[in-house]
Amino acid sequence: MVDVLTTVVNAVTISALYALVAIGFTLIFGVGGVLNLAHGAILTIGAFTAYYATSALGLGIWTGAAAALVVAAVFSAVLYLGMIRWVQDEPILVMILTLVTSIAIEQFFVVTVGTQSKAVPSLLPGQLTLAGISVQTNQALTFVLSWVLIGGLIVAVNYTQTGKAILATSMTKKGAALVGIESDRMYLYTWLLAGALAGVAGVFLASYRTASYTMGRGPLILSFSIVVLGGIGSIRGSVVGAYLIGFLEVFTVSYVDSSLSGLASLVVLVVVLLVRPEGLFGRELTEA
Amino acid sequence: MSGETTSDPASYRDLLDPSSLALRHRLGLVGLVALGLLPFTNDLAGLLGLGALGVDRLMVLKLTGALYFAVFAMSWDAVSGYTGQISFGHGLFFAVGGYTSALLNLNWGVDPAIAIVVGMVFAALAGVVVGVPALRLEGPYLSLVTLVAPLILLQLFIVFSDTFGGELGLSSPENLLAFESFETAITANYYLAFGLFVFVLVLLLAVTRSDAGSVFTAIREDEDAVAAAGLDPAKFKVFAFVLSAAVGGLAGAMFVHTPVGNPQPSQLLVLTVSIEVIIASVLGGMGTIVGPAVGGLFYYMFRDYLSGVSWTVPVADVPVSELDLLLFSLITLALLFFLPGGIVRWTIRNGRRALRRGGRNGGERAVPDGGTDPSDGDDTNAGGEPETGTSPLERTLAAYREAFDDESTDDRTDGGRR
Repeated sequence: MVDVLTTVVNAVTISALYALVAIGFTLIFGVGGVLNLAHGAILTIGAFTAYYATSALGLGIWTGAAAALVVAAVFSAVLYLGMIRWVQDEPILVMILTLVTSIAIEQFFVVTVGTQSKAVPSLLPGQLTLAGISVQTNQALTFVLSWVLIGGLIVAVNYTQTGKAILATSMTKKGAALVGIESDRMYLYTWLLAGALAGVAGVFLASYRTASYTMGRGPLILSFSIVVLGGIGSIRGSVVGAYLIGFLEVFTVSYVDSSLSGLASLVVLVVVLLVRPEGLFGRELTEA
Repeated sequence: MSGETTSDPASYRDLLDPSSLALRHRLGLVGLVALGLLPFTNDLAGLLGLGALGVDRLMVLKLTGALYFAVFAMSWDAVSGYTGQISFGHGLFFAVGGYTSALLNLNWGVDPAIAIVVGMVFAALAGVVVGVPALRLEGPYLSLVTLVAPLILLQLFIVFSDTFGGELGLSSPENLLAFESFETAITANYYLAFGLFVFVLVLLLAVTRSDAGSVFTAIREDEDAVAAAGLDPAKFKVFAFVLSAAVGGLAGAMFVHTPVGNPQPSQLLVLTVSIEVIIASVLGGMGTIVGPAVGGLFYYMFRDYLSGVSWTVPVADVPVSELDLLLFSLITLALLFFLPGGIVRWTIRNGRRALRRGGRNGGERAVPDGGTDPSDGDDTNAGGEPETGTSPLERTLAAYREAFDDESTDDRTDGGRR
């Protein structure tokens, strides 16, 4: 029984992280219509920023995490401003560009860090006991932080001017432009947000697994499944999707076969795409 | 380029007459012949007393790999460059072809020649499996499916490691061409690859320059317009997928039966393979077939060259050999961004301009229609205007034609970005 509970705890934690990654992914796609295949690589950037800050510069992990957030957000924004902004009307070119970008980032880390995995310290070391099972404090922190960020984001999107403007742009670009919303700025915001969320997720992921140059691939692929399952552009859908996929993933690996890792969610992705492409909470894509 | 449909039967003879070919076609032929003669350059150089000027056996082996890679790239281009249904997972087809053929040979001792054909058929079936969802899904969604499909296959290979050998792959199956002498085997395999290369090049050029090719391009530009014209885009998309998959599968299957290729995920299936194919095709020029062929050869050989360079980057203290993929991805990014048509288009366009400029100065061989076909040009010239480009009107017209020509070449890939 304890075993099941531990698995549940693991699933909850990992799902919380997937939710952060997937929300960024869905924001960019929902608002700008851009599939950012470099999103996983941005997560890697976050993780290695934290690694550099702690190991090379000797800073604390909290500073490292903050640095990761900033660096990832800035990188994401630069990627948008420097490249994607000019080609965003061509989804295919964007996909190729972002995919090649992610390869370039991965290779950059192969050259600078090497292919060995690197350890990143926990943000809150230690254990705490909850309802009879001991949980790593780091995991609890992940869960709490994830929900704080998600809650903050939902509030921001629904109740602030800028948030509403982002929402409006995602619904109809022309309509938003008519009431004076600069869509380019909204896109930039989504890229910043998405980068920051991915950077934080990268630090946590690295802190209880390790940081490696391919670490962004798994979450990126899972993000596809999550976002497609939840409905593209829907934050709520992404959160629900993240937990569904997270649990599916952790339970398949724990109880069925560890070699099935990644397979179940991919099958879900293909089935959802073929059966219900708009996802659980999605709307049909509005105007092109 | 892709718009050239040869409908006039009389011009077929011209097609075979080298003197009537456009310069780029002649250059292409020369390139092909040079590729065909490569294995003998060493002997030739020896005969002529030039010493070791030619390519050695190792180089021939590498070129064999490059030829297969170029075929992979061309197969990608047939579906993605033309119909715009970008496949991010063409490794799926290479792997289905290669693994089917290798397993048949390893487990049941099927003759490689038959196994390869079966592999190709299976790959074509995989093309149907991926192509049919393509009817329901558009743009990014389809690309997601193609991106994910090889990942699923790889997972299956890992789950059923007993049969598929997991991440390490299978042991090498029997070679299609086996010889006592190692040297003969290398040369024979080179020509096998060369034959496949030429066959696929001609096949895909023929298909994409046919009326079906025009429909492919039209689908890329505007699918609704194609449907409105009474053509069924679904049919053409599936056809493109199956054709591409069959060619890719054939190449994959033949590849595993050579000394250079093995049925391993790292050579056929992993994400990097699929992406390298895209990089090579984009470098050469999407939607031209010739571009990916050139790009594929260039990419493979240049990466190989880079991995042998011992020079290190001064500041970072990293040997260039470790930077190859990074360099290539950066080059691709820059090219995609600044030169979306690829190298081949760019060369042709600028070559034409240079020729025309030279022609204007020399007063010879000025081709009024932008040089698409000298035989056409000659006809127009014979129509009574030998001094093309001399009157202001003619020059203006030529300038417009040039601009229009460039515009239409650009539009192929960047769909009105500017």
